[in-house]
Amino acid sequence: MKEHYIMNRTNNSMAFYKAKKVMLLAMSLIIFSQARAQQVLIEAESFIDKGGWVVDPQFVEQMGSPYLMAHGLGVPVKNASTEIQFKKKGTYHVWVRTKNWVPGDWEAPGRFRVMINGKELKTTLGTMPGWSWEYAGTTAVKSKKVEIELVDLTGFNGRCDAIYLSQSEEQPPNDIKELAVWRQTKLGETTAPEKEETYDLVITGGGLAGCAAAIAAAEQGLKVALIHDRPLLGGNASSEIRVHTLGIYGKFERILKMIDTEHYPNGSSEAKIDQEKRDRNVKSFKNISLFLNWRAYDAVAKDNLIQYVDARHTATGERIRFKAPRFVDSTGDGWIGFWAGAEFSYGRESVDTYGEAWDVWGELWSPEEADDFVMGSSVLWQTEVLKQPQIFPEVPWAREVAGDHSAIAGEWYWEFSRNDLHQIHDAEEIRDHMLRAIFGSFANAKKLEENKNHKLQWVSYLVGKRESRRLVGDHIFTFKDVQEYTKFPDSVVMEIREIDVHFQRNLRDASQPDFLSKAIFYKTDKYYIPYRSLYSKNINNLFMAGRNFSCSHIGLGGPRVMRTTGQMGAAVGFAAVLCKKYNVNPREIYTNHLKEYMELIESQQWPEN
Amino acid sequence: MNDEWEEVSKDMEVFTVTNKDTLINHNIRLLSTKEGYPRLFFADLETPVCADGECRLAKIKIYWNLLGNYVGYGIDPDEPLTKFEHDPFDKEDYAKLHALLLDDNSVLRNREMSELVDEVPVSISKADFGAVDGISSATKKEIKESVVQGGLYSCYTLWHLVHGEVKKNISAYLQSIYTDSLNNYLLYSDYEDYQYYGLKKLPKEAFEKHFEQVIRIFEKTQPLIRTYILKKIPNNILEDRNNTEQFYRLFSRTDINTKTQLVKKAGSAHLIALEILSGFSSEMTKNQLKLYLEIFNENPENLTPLIKSNLLEAARSEKYAYNYLIKEFLNNKE
Ligand SMILES: Cc1cc2nc3c(=O)[nH]c(=O)nc-3n(C[C@H](O)[C@H](O)[C@H](O)COP(=O)(O)OP(=O)(O)OC[C@H]3O[C@@H](n4cnc5c(N)ncnc54)[C@H](O)[C@@H]3O)c2cc1C
Repeated sequence: MKEHYIMNRTNNSMAFYKAKKVMLLAMSLIIFSQARAQQVLIEAESFIDKGGWVVDPQFVEQMGSPYLMAHGLGVPVKNASTEIQFKKKGTYHVWVRTKNWVPGDWEAPGRFRVMINGKELKTTLGTMPGWSWEYAGTTAVKSKKVEIELVDLTGFNGRCDAIYLSQSEEQPPNDIKELAVWRQTKLGETTAPEKEETYDLVITGGGLAGCAAAIAAAEQGLKVALIHDRPLLGGNASSEIRVHTLGIYGKFERILKMIDTEHYPNGSSEAKIDQEKRDRNVKSFKNISLFLNWRAYDAVAKDNLIQYVDARHTATGERIRFKAPRFVDSTGDGWIGFWAGAEFSYGRESVDTYGEAWDVWGELWSPEEADDFVMGSSVLWQTEVLKQPQIFPEVPWAREVAGDHSAIAGEWYWEFSRNDLHQIHDAEEIRDHMLRAIFGSFANAKKLEENKNHKLQWVSYLVGKRESRRLVGDHIFTFKDVQEYTKFPDSVVMEIREIDVHFQRNLRDASQPDFLSKAIFYKTDKYYIPYRSLYSKNINNLFMAGRNFSCSHIGLGGPRVMRTTGQMGAAVGFAAVLCKKYNVNPREIYTNHLKEYMELIESQQWPEN
Repeated sequence: MNDEWEEVSKDMEVFTVTNKDTLINHNIRLLSTKEGYPRLFFADLETPVCADGECRLAKIKIYWNLLGNYVGYGIDPDEPLTKFEHDPFDKEDYAKLHALLLDDNSVLRNREMSELVDEVPVSISKADFGAVDGISSATKKEIKESVVQGGLYSCYTLWHLVHGEVKKNISAYLQSIYTDSLNNYLLYSDYEDYQYYGLKKLPKEAFEKHFEQVIRIFEKTQPLIRTYILKKIPNNILEDRNNTEQFYRLFSRTDINTKTQLVKKAGSAHLIALEILSGFSSEMTKNQLKLYLEIFNENPENLTPLIKSNLLEAARSEKYAYNYLIKEFLNNKE
């Protein structure tokens, strides 16, 4: 499927998000009886005690559900456990939905077992390529209450999506579409969430852009919902990913200072300090309803107006339908727009599409023919030096990626993009590739005497993205707008930081590791982004802010940094206020209320001196 | 350095450039063969190198190729380059300088002289913020590693001379003397940057005529240029069995991104492409394999007995991680 042309959502991709997940009841499991047999389905992410396992909700649209992962940096993590009720005693078959995340000629890295009432089932899991139900054996259920545990064997990212116990021998379906239907029909999940909430503005994605939009709108009295799929706010700037914020404040210094970061190296644990500040500030607004650990999974438009966004709790599976007259897509990946049928683009435009040539860099900057060589995603990581020697296990499954590369820390240029991988659809593979790069390079470094006291301190399991879908607005921001310093009547965002666009090192030199990139910088004076790049062209009540704003591949090169994306958020928040005041859609702020809007924005400026 | 200078017998001044920092004019000369074929650009430079208010004159001869890419330099042994405290460069220093000048994307590229002062974090733009997605604390270390120790200012000055205005001027000059035969010279040379330039200038329709050379380049060149060739090559060339074979038999030896493109193109190329690829299917990434198999879903008649038997073999290979996808595919075809 080619996506770099501007297009509407394709039927093909609909299948991804239509893959819905079971709703979990309070006891975090579903028991259902059929005439013949008893069956129990347990969603791993709803385990009562997650032990050392983490909930990974990043790839729901591709593999169907959040899952639990044993991210132990090579040290097996503490068991996750939960308790379930059985109606019927007897012998049950046990299936576990999992995957061998590095299939190949070695022992699978993420192996684990299931323990039932203290007894480990012998089959080792996490050994089959691709997400599938692995058969774990049978267990005799003798009591009504049963304790189930996940026993990690490696500390290297074993993963468990769900466990299914059944008296029947019939294996649940593997095909992603069939599985979604299987989950839905068997559990009798209704199509629509039962709970419904209504707001003035529903914002999805709590990165810097989403946070700034929420604050701006809330300050002016709007009732705001902020839906974010992580426990912590900030997206790439959060202490879970640890990228520091760059760029200028534009007109929004006051707001952005509540949520941005100090300067520190990317990956530094200092990100924690700013995390506390950001969470505290956003939570201080009574009229921001924060939905942390909630992931939106659908948005439906009628007559080009979004009617609602549906979201699900990443652990309990609870669902809510969010209604509002207007919505903001700040998911970074343009999910809300995508689901609602907004026009979007992906990939690198041809150099002539918007006249974005830079001769010195030629194809590396903007190609003659469009392609999918977008900027890549990263996983940041850090090590520490201890007083005692530290052992790190052999990782033969990482060698293929890391080669002889040896490293004791990562940085922004640990970045991965390849032309057969899509930054959204293949995000799990991209994240896993980076994990192999990191573990493999660190294992190589550990072979050197000088690194004997080094220990992996932190490796993010969240993939930090730079570029994916870009929703199309009334204006598409391009390199030309930077080069010509175009001043728009609706310039609401400004920036002076240079554009930087990345390319993979192995494009110029095949012997380089495929997970390292280089940056091309284009120096600039102050340039502007118009408000018209911040609302959808064809979905009439949709704003967008953040790296999924309306721009070309090169246009994204500069303003993707997070104070700039924060400015976009704030600008959108204020626009939403006027939309409510006049009961109009985003476009009409430009056509009918521009003067008032620009004055509102101007008044956000701190007084001179 | 290129060995073109051996053929050189003519020398002509072609333009001057003014260094923005020093305001000194430098004459740029074109060196040609005795028949008048252009080969190299050249400048005999004298430029002040200043640090902390103290300046010294650096004398150096710089050579650029026809595209304005730096190829080498010469120093008079009696007037060596100097570093901190006027120590002369030693042999390693000269080698390091050469390596630095060869790097067109050096960390020095976007730096102002004032930003190089030690101890101060390197800020790379007019705003007062430090590191970037692209620059970081690692940068200072990187700068240090890329330049001659104690010779930062010489390195900085020379890098910017070599990669500054001159390059643009050379480009413009080359345009002014461009001919098809000059392009042929570039296309058929052994230098990657010349070949790339030749390919870029070559009209699509001319690919057929130069097919042998295109394939020769494709086989050895960097991934970026391979990608470029596959994008540009007109479809009708790959309708020919022999041409197609020449590309696809290289599959195994090309890089992963090129492989993807070969797979993507296979559906519209001569059928032999699909046959050759079937023999390499167990070298494909998951998505390459999916793309490949998808071709047969769209055009089942292309699934020849040979392809089927090769796929069966890959499906049976225990070493191939995605053999299960081939199994599924073949099962669905039964
Ligand atoms: C390694 C790296 C280094 C970088 N360096 C810098 C730098 O030094 N300085 C800088 O300023 N920028 C840097 N960038 C760029 C910058 O971090 C990104 O462009 C950033 O993502 C922009 O912020 P955002 O708010 O648009 O998106 P994000 O930060 O991605 O935030 C969007 C959030 O929405 C959430 N979300 C997504 N889908 C859903 C859903 N369906 N439901 C609920 N929530 C959802 C995601 O969890 C995510 O956290 C870097 C990026 C990377 C990867």
